[in-house]
Amino acid sequence: MLFGEEGQERLKKSTIVIAGAGGLGSPVALYLAAAGVGTIKIVDNDLVEQSNLNRQILHNDRDIGKKKVDSAAEKLQSINPDISVWAIHTTIDTITATSLVGNADGIVDAMDNFATRYLLNDVAITIKIPLFHGAIRGFYGQATTIIPKKSACLRCIFPKAPPQEVFPVIGVTPGVIGAVQATEVIKYLLNIGGLLTNRLFIWDGMQASAEEIHVERDPHCEACGTKKGMRRKRT
Amino acid sequence: MNVRIRFFAQFGELLGTDIIAESSSGVALDSLIKEVASKNKEGYDAIFDEHGSFREFVIIMRNGKRLDMADAKKVRVADGDEIAVFPPVAGG
Repeated sequence: MLFGEEGQERLKKSTIVIAGAGGLGSPVALYLAAAGVGTIKIVDNDLVEQSNLNRQILHNDRDIGKKKVDSAAEKLQSINPDISVWAIHTTIDTITATSLVGNADGIVDAMDNFATRYLLNDVAITIKIPLFHGAIRGFYGQATTIIPKKSACLRCIFPKAPPQEVFPVIGVTPGVIGAVQATEVIKYLLNIGGLLTNRLFIWDGMQASAEEIHVERDPHCEACGTKKGMRRKRT
Repeated sequence: MNVRIRFFAQFGELLGTDIIAESSSGVALDSLIKEVASKNKEGYDAIFDEHGSFREFVIIMRNGKRLDMADAKKVRVADGDEIAVFPPVAGG
């Protein structure tokens, strides 16, 4: 085995929160369930719609109208009946975020907006667990791993959110980025390999080209900055 | 002198992904990008706001090091520089 019985046992004892059961959440959840991550809490407030099915591969035509988390839990349990899947149908906001995460070992950012991403970033920093970031648009995607107080956080890298829009997406792009995120989670839980910390992975599916941008912690970061009183103001 | 400008994601679709720009020595980085981007209005508007400032979410790298956007007007490009202009994506 790649990481032995001990590694498999470690995965089994781990808890991961997947925020979002859509395009990114689908591949991340499938791979983590198949790998044997013992407890997966999947959180989403949406119902399955037909327009989701080109990319949200956890759901199929028969699931239209169901809660995404219920559809997700059903598939994940059938892939791996030995894991525990929590289907949490709720909105992630300032009131619910911390309790949703609870005593998890890490949070996967599979959201579709930066407002919630920033909130997850704050929770990860507060309770000192990693945030595995991914985002997509069309054929383009990005991913990074955030270890609070050790590597650049989401606000260090993206101090300002890109504009809200309806995102055109081809299903293969969240497939690529979700697989990167799931890989990061597994390596982190097993304490192996080199994490995608202080690096922003950029995928251009149109050109079949991957790049990385080196990023650093911002001492004035409003979320994790070390220079208190000199932090940038939140907008 | 020659400066290589790389536009990523939707910026690249609108403006081309890899451009060698000829410019005079000491030109400001934001002026050079404006000049190159002005060939496509949609591309220009994606990067710059109505006041001609970089949109606040745009990430600029110069020779692999990220620029603080407040410095973008002050920085002068040099021969052989590689500038990357990157829009974060937000979908999921």
